[in-house]
Amino acid sequence: MLNAETLEILTESAKYDVSCSSSGSKRRNSRGGIGNAAAEGICHSFTPDGRCISLLKILMSNECIYDCEYCPNRKSADVRRARITPDEICELTVNFYKRNYIEGLFLSSAVCESPNRTMELLCETVNRLRKVYHFNGYIHLKGIPHADEELIMKAARLVDRMSYNIELPSEKSLKLLAPQKTKQSLLLPMKSLKDAVDYEKFNNLRRKIIPAGQTTQMIIGASPESDGQILKLTEALYRNMDMRRVYYSSYVPVVQSSKLPTVGAGLLREHRLYQADWLIRFYGFNVNEICEENENLSSEYDPKCAWALKNMHLFPIEINTAPLEMLLRVPGIGAKSAYKIIEARKFSKIGFENLLKMRIVLKRAKHFVTCGGKFYGADSFAQVKYSLLIDGKNEVTQQISMFSTPAAALSALTGEI
Amino acid sequence: MKIYITDGTSESFFTAVFDAYPEKNCIITSDKDIQLSLDSEVINVAIDGEKTRRVTEKLTALDCEAVKDINKVLRSCDALKEQTAFEYIKALTRHKAPIKKAYNLPEVIEFNDVLYKITGEVHRIKGLLRFMESADGTLYAPYSPDNDITELLMPHFVERFKSERFVIHDLKRKTAGMYNGREWITGYVGEAEIYLSEYERAFENLWKKYYKAVNIKERPHEKQMKRSMPVRYWKFLPEKKD
Repeated sequence: MLNAETLEILTESAKYDVSCSSSGSKRRNSRGGIGNAAAEGICHSFTPDGRCISLLKILMSNECIYDCEYCPNRKSADVRRARITPDEICELTVNFYKRNYIEGLFLSSAVCESPNRTMELLCETVNRLRKVYHFNGYIHLKGIPHADEELIMKAARLVDRMSYNIELPSEKSLKLLAPQKTKQSLLLPMKSLKDAVDYEKFNNLRRKIIPAGQTTQMIIGASPESDGQILKLTEALYRNMDMRRVYYSSYVPVVQSSKLPTVGAGLLREHRLYQADWLIRFYGFNVNEICEENENLSSEYDPKCAWALKNMHLFPIEINTAPLEMLLRVPGIGAKSAYKIIEARKFSKIGFENLLKMRIVLKRAKHFVTCGGKFYGADSFAQVKYSLLIDGKNEVTQQISMFSTPAAALSALTGEI
Repeated sequence: MKIYITDGTSESFFTAVFDAYPEKNCIITSDKDIQLSLDSEVINVAIDGEKTRRVTEKLTALDCEAVKDINKVLRSCDALKEQTAFEYIKALTRHKAPIKKAYNLPEVIEFNDVLYKITGEVHRIKGLLRFMESADGTLYAPYSPDNDITELLMPHFVERFKSERFVIHDLKRKTAGMYNGREWITGYVGEAEIYLSEYERAFENLWKKYYKAVNIKERPHEKQMKRSMPVRYWKFLPEKKD
């Protein structure tokens, strides 16, 4: 059996990968097999940092031939090194799964020996897990840049999700901080995977290749890009690469380097980017509406509030008649609330007291809506601005986490983390 | 006022609904300790298959999901669950069409509140239930949920652990769901004595190690952890025991 120290080293090396979701796949169990995937995703535990544990997130090895500036496992770093065999990974996964500790495996690896050799070992592991251990639970596999396309496609047929991390928000920063990874080595495999998935979709074939799609992740605050640039890139990734999610991880100075800033980016920036990301994906906003190319998001107001304050001429809107697209643009009204309002008003007219009973939070929304023609918000623009600011302050102190509460709520609604 | 006392089963509840429906002012409950007033008339409901059938057929005709939802609500720990379901039924027959999404009707708000608590707990427990492997390979999971949800959990785990044998034991209600690799049943189980497999402790320790190692100490957020994983569930989680 695997020894505890190896598990510790390989877990600590993997934990900075943000993605942990197990949703988006409906893989069925096979005869004599173990496990299946739940489309809505299931969290199995929560750590004291507020993050959920859904998958067993480990590296196969942290012995790396690359020397990326920001990475704690880079070649020149003085850290404990370890690796585990495919069988050890399979055994651990199945035994954790049986006890209902986890929903599946998130396997990644440092680049050891060569990209192809590493990818081969990862492939062998997932192949054994599926074919020998008959494991049908969720598998998220990290792609290795510069590995052959053939290997990537072989792996993609076995797993539920794959991800290539874009690492940094611009090619220039990537060259500076991760010189051995090129833009092409990250984007080409993403594109091949997308094309393979599209081929299945358009030909109405049974979905076999990464049914839960692709995700990616970038570090925020280690390089000088503005929020506007980051969000533009995000939008392009959603549009052109069909990403299910783009994750941001706020830079923490764990590594000493002259090329890196000495202070972290702070969690608020990360939080604001996620809020903006949500607006793009679920609320019908364009990046241009939220943030100019070279601007940063406001730290005082969340992006929806900031947008609404700039567009006061569009408000107030009438709850009983406004179209869904406008309801979604009201600060304080989330996707769930908007949906409830749309459904409820088919039955009867909605008054202000109804909204309260429906548990729709009106602290911010009341300044932007009317109910049956009546307005309950503040009288002047200055007052609106002030009360939103106070409200925002509370939110900042309470809600900063990798997975903000509205985000978690929405994931349940959409099943699309 | 008439008070219909059911035995807690859905058959008994639907029989009571049949009798109580024409009454102007009455209560349905399974709570035997209910406070009575001077004008209360207590009726102990005797299950009547024909009445149950007529009520469920009528409800299904109005909304094909109604009976399923009501059966879930009847598993709640809420003392007023029968009355909440009864009010929902009355609203449904008044509207003569599905009202599940009438989010501004008081009867629907109350009904959905209870319903979401059940479905929410089912979803949560799908993640938080912990199995131990016993010496003969049977997986055993003790827990004590707020609501009576063992039957709702069984299909999920049966699909997952098709070729295993397992027991999900509700210690609070002394009931268990049992699966032998072919079919599952639920029934009364008082206490269970478990002999653990020789690997059990070792995997449990690896899991604890993993839990500790995957945490990012620099970003503490205990409040979020407790919000997502309430402390009352911790006693069955190895990673939360020392």
